[in-house]
Amino acid sequence: MIADEPTLARLMMAAQEGDRAATNVLLSEVGLWLERYFRRRLPPHQIDDLVQDVLIAFYTKRATWDPSRAFLPWLAAIARYRWVDHLRKVYKHDGKELMEEDAVEDSEEEVVLARVSLDRLFRQLPQKQSEVIQLVKIGGLSISEAADKTGQSESLVKVNIHRGLKKLATLVEDAD
Amino acid sequence: MTEYSQQSMSREDLIAALSQDITPVRRVRPREGAVLIGFATIIVSIASIALTGWWSGLLTGEASGYFLITNGLLLVLGAASTAALVKSALPRVGPRASAPFWGAGMLAILPLGVIINLLSGRGNHAYNGLNDPFALHCTAASLGAAALVAIATVLWLRRGAPVSLERAGWLTGLAAGSLGTLAYGITCPLDTFSHVGLWHIAPVAIAAFIGRLAVPPMIRW
Repeated sequence: MIADEPTLARLMMAAQEGDRAATNVLLSEVGLWLERYFRRRLPPHQIDDLVQDVLIAFYTKRATWDPSRAFLPWLAAIARYRWVDHLRKVYKHDGKELMEEDAVEDSEEEVVLARVSLDRLFRQLPQKQSEVIQLVKIGGLSISEAADKTGQSESLVKVNIHRGLKKLATLVEDAD
Repeated sequence: MTEYSQQSMSREDLIAALSQDITPVRRVRPREGAVLIGFATIIVSIASIALTGWWSGLLTGEASGYFLITNGLLLVLGAASTAALVKSALPRVGPRASAPFWGAGMLAILPLGVIINLLSGRGNHAYNGLNDPFALHCTAASLGAAALVAIATVLWLRRGAPVSLERAGWLTGLAAGSLGTLAYGITCPLDTFSHVGLWHIAPVAIAAFIGRLAVPPMIRW
């Protein structure tokens, strides 16, 4: 069970004041929240790396949270920002596919919670762009495999990935 | 961020290391960013007056309506862009201020008016504006002033954590361009519609494009 918004906000206020115990609990809870947030939007073997990356960003930029505002939208904005950055970088050297057996069984509610924010971003992209990003950057297909599967030329797949990621970066702040 | 590399440690170890090193932080407050940018604008205005001299026509009623309207719009656009910019340094998911872009649209009416004047065939002023010998000077001086304001905005953004870098780049260009042009503009005695409508607006557009291109790499985190 992941802590709720008021609990996370209280822990964050204590962390901003330098409370070690609160920081430890907060980072653990945020790690769990992020793990769920990224599930199904990254191959499982990449989730922990990105969660740690976001935890470091979260820690380094902790002074930018304003206690008069909600905590989770602040965290989600950081998570989205690092996720888009991750999508841009990760498949340069790593082509491992998301295998069916990697998929985690969840209750329907958990899946909805975990996917809603990032899925909303994808829905704002043209279908051709979101399709190839999901196939190549998340599904791990090669450019030529994605081209075969979608009927787009390889050049078009590359262009659509480039344009789609660029647009995703501009949508980071968009409300759910 | 390079201090804690997750490559070599488990998440538990990373959390333990981060918790161990925790220190109290001073919150990043948008108000402080606005004060910093406002202060930079005042310094640039003083420097501009010191370098080019104070134009008394501003206070004696000699300044034309075009001069007052243009500089007033620059002030409003600068304020709107600054307000949006300082908020953009804090990560958030939610509605975003569109006022700076509407403000930029309003400002664009001035050069549009000059061009319409020119095309209507009654635009002696417009022709004068296009052949203005002070055009380059005013544009360059405004951009120089804008660059100094932009330094303050980039320093502020680097303290924060902007998550929409392109937008922050546009806003930096709009805020620095309008406030820098205003800081120089109040010392410029040329107050015709064609002069202020073209050469005191062009630097804002140029600064906005430079901001879009140059700022994101400087504020990436």
